[in-house]
Amino acid sequence: MGNMKIKAKEKDGVLKVKALIKHPMLTYDQAKKKGKEPNFITHITAKVGDTIVYDASTSQFLSKNPMIKFKAKAGKKGDDLTITWVDLSGKTVTESKKIK
Amino acid sequence: MNRRNFIGFGVLAMAALPAALSAFSSIDFRATKPATWKAKTVQDAIKALYGDIKPENKGVTVKAPKVASNGGAVPVTIKSDIPAKTVAFFQDMDPESAVTVWNVPDVGIVDYFLKIKLKATDANGGNGELTAIVEGKDGKFYVGKTKLQVAKGGCEG
Repeated sequence: MGNMKIKAKEKDGVLKVKALIKHPMLTYDQAKKKGKEPNFITHITAKVGDTIVYDASTSQFLSKNPMIKFKAKAGKKGDDLTITWVDLSGKTVTESKKIK
Repeated sequence: MNRRNFIGFGVLAMAALPAALSAFSSIDFRATKPATWKAKTVQDAIKALYGDIKPENKGVTVKAPKVASNGGAVPVTIKSDIPAKTVAFFQDMDPESAVTVWNVPDVGIVDYFLKIKLKATDANGGNGELTAIVEGKDGKFYVGKTKLQVAKGGCEG
């Protein structure tokens, strides 16, 4: 827990989501300099129930602790919005938040 | 074909069917289009992802600050009203060009915000261009671009 800060709001049938993901997002260049393994988020998916509302394949060039925002015509107040990300090391983190 | 094999085939076909019918599933473009992520230029990255396309220059907005003081976190918004199948986002300042490829669900709205890293170097002088391509459900491609400047060293000068 504590890996993501999610805000999800629904208004007039439109879901607005803002998420802040805690991740170093070490690019190949940065990792080389620091003598660490490169690691960055490679995929982010968001769902309301079984419906995918956001599906992004990502590269090393998202900022450190990346922030994303998106909209979708899905979900209503009280539903759970679930965001899952996977990084290069294979780590998967999933967190849910009730839509307000 | 003997009876046992025939049943086996039927089971396989049934397993394949729901996948084909399901409305939308996640696509990992890093797995399906690996060359996209290694391409050093925007042109090559687009080619690796979509092939030889001639996108129309309309309907796609890329919004970013004209001058970004912090190259480590440049806010970018990509918007389009075109019913989209996929959206791809590239830049020409970092060693590789691809940033994100979105697989747009039917319920999705193309209004994506994210923060990205852009590297100002002597070669690019801190000048860069962001490119977003929308693959429409009509099978056509659309492009939007914006130019920006990134302050060197990541502090305001």
